[in-house]
Amino acid sequence: MSAAIETHELSKRYRRASALTECTVSVPEGRVCALIGPNGAGKTTLLRILAGLVRPSAGTASVLDGAPRQDPAFLADIGFLAQEIPLYRNFTADDHLRVGGHLNPRWDAALARTRLAELRIPLDRRVGKLSGGQRAQVALALTLAKRPRLLLLDEPFAALDPLARRDFLAALTSAVTDAAGRLTIVLSSHLVSDLERVCDHLILLSGSRVQLAGDIDTLLAEHRVALKVENVALEELVLSYMGAEPADNRLTTIGEES
Amino acid sequence: MTWLIWRQYRAQAAIASVLLAALAAAIVVDGLQIASRWHSVLVSCAGNGGCLEQAPTLVNGVMSDLPYFTLIVPVVLGMLWGAPLVASELEARTSDFAWTQSVTRTRWLAVKAGWLLLAAVAWGGAVSALFTWWSGPINADSATAFTPGQFDTQGIVPIGYAVFAMSLGIAVGTVARRTLPAIAVVLGGFIGLRLVIANLLRPHYMAAVTTYFKVTSTFTPPGQAWVLSQGGVSRTGQVVGRGWGDLEPALPAACQRLLPGGPAAKSGGSMTSVFSCMQAHGWRGFVTYQPAGRYWPFQGIETGIYVLLAAALIAVTFVVVRRRDA
Repeated sequence: MSAAIETHELSKRYRRASALTECTVSVPEGRVCALIGPNGAGKTTLLRILAGLVRPSAGTASVLDGAPRQDPAFLADIGFLAQEIPLYRNFTADDHLRVGGHLNPRWDAALARTRLAELRIPLDRRVGKLSGGQRAQVALALTLAKRPRLLLLDEPFAALDPLARRDFLAALTSAVTDAAGRLTIVLSSHLVSDLERVCDHLILLSGSRVQLAGDIDTLLAEHRVALKVENVALEELVLSYMGAEPADNRLTTIGEES
Repeated sequence: MTWLIWRQYRAQAAIASVLLAALAAAIVVDGLQIASRWHSVLVSCAGNGGCLEQAPTLVNGVMSDLPYFTLIVPVVLGMLWGAPLVASELEARTSDFAWTQSVTRTRWLAVKAGWLLLAAVAWGGAVSALFTWWSGPINADSATAFTPGQFDTQGIVPIGYAVFAMSLGIAVGTVARRTLPAIAVVLGGFIGLRLVIANLLRPHYMAAVTTYFKVTSTFTPPGQAWVLSQGGVSRTGQVVGRGWGDLEPALPAACQRLLPGGPAAKSGGSMTSVFSCMQAHGWRGFVTYQPAGRYWPFQGIETGIYVLLAAALIAVTFVVVRRRDA
């Protein structure tokens, strides 16, 4: 199986600080990868580099067999959803669907319309007047309708209530099944429990560095052996690699990541 | 892409179209009145050259200021449409949406900037065409098409200003990443550059012509020439302006005595004796001007300067948008 994502010592420095330091990871095609880490760990930076929105300061990234680049074919393969849910506030959902149809070669209008109809989201209302959760659902539907080969979702659950989360995860799972191993997903979150059920791959970032990366079952098995215990939850595994802070603080105080 | 631009700008385009239509209606209505006034002046003055000098002014009231009002419109378009083109997308993070569709940033910018520049050309062209027509009788009456102010509202230069202002807005907004500071820079930059070019550069696009003449006679450059300076020059090369305030202290004592109110003044206050005295002392009159035939070359040079600056700004914008981290 070929790698959908392959990075080698990928670094991004801003004037004051390092956002990402020597990140070397590989995600095989067809995987659903959880990108976990505390606030400011570099999750957003990594996703934005992979989407071609940010240029790395050093190192290389290979996404679907090529560096992220300004090329319609590459851009058509990438579905990116930023944490801020960027939509034109005075456009309606329908306007966005039409824009998507004009700008994307594999546009699946029926998929987006069915999804938004199921969620009872009005297509004719300006998205600025929708609730935060509804806006997030519109943006997710747009991203899925692009029919990407790599889906990069930055904190997609932040704006969703628990019911909507479950529903969205179901949609992701069915998208993965439909794609028959051709769709790779990376989604970031600070909540391990959100991702545990759908993800089979893990990248753990902390302090701008990769702390742990690989197939989740393999990682758990290694950990079981190392600790000589029968069973280890993914959450415990993640916490043990996140550093010395008390777990309660780490997992409950994380909000927005810049 | 074009549909996206249309959806983003349709409200503003509608407002701008209504304003342009209202302006056009005002210019056409007023222009027809001016033309008929001018026509009746021509009929009543047929065969009588002095009569034209006595003719009442053709333009009246608010309308006489209208051309000057339109001088600021390009910069308003640059501030309201150009500056937010990229900056507002970065501010609202909608660039994340736009730049992850299956369209390169280059094409995204080309279509967006292209339509706005087209709008600038359309606006500049429409306003210029209207005012060039409107100014026809005034140009014929007072021969002022080449003078600053009138020159700026007619011919092809308004198109250059409009394209430049729009490009300045787009480029500054892209580099600054924020709309409000960009608007301030565009306003200051456009007005500053217009003043510098109009006052310091434009008189020198081509070497001016200076004609000397006897102070006892007069000389007016033919046609709609642009007079840069005029006055008198003494035998020793001392140049003084046209006003008596400048001229009087510079005159030889013998001529000063002949001035009205002076000890040797001729009865009736005639200046003829003063001019004869100046002539006898070697004074000449001069006019420095750009001949009327240079009107279109000057229009072309000025438009060219602004279009080249606009092209440079757009090129910078493309480089920045392609390389920028979003």
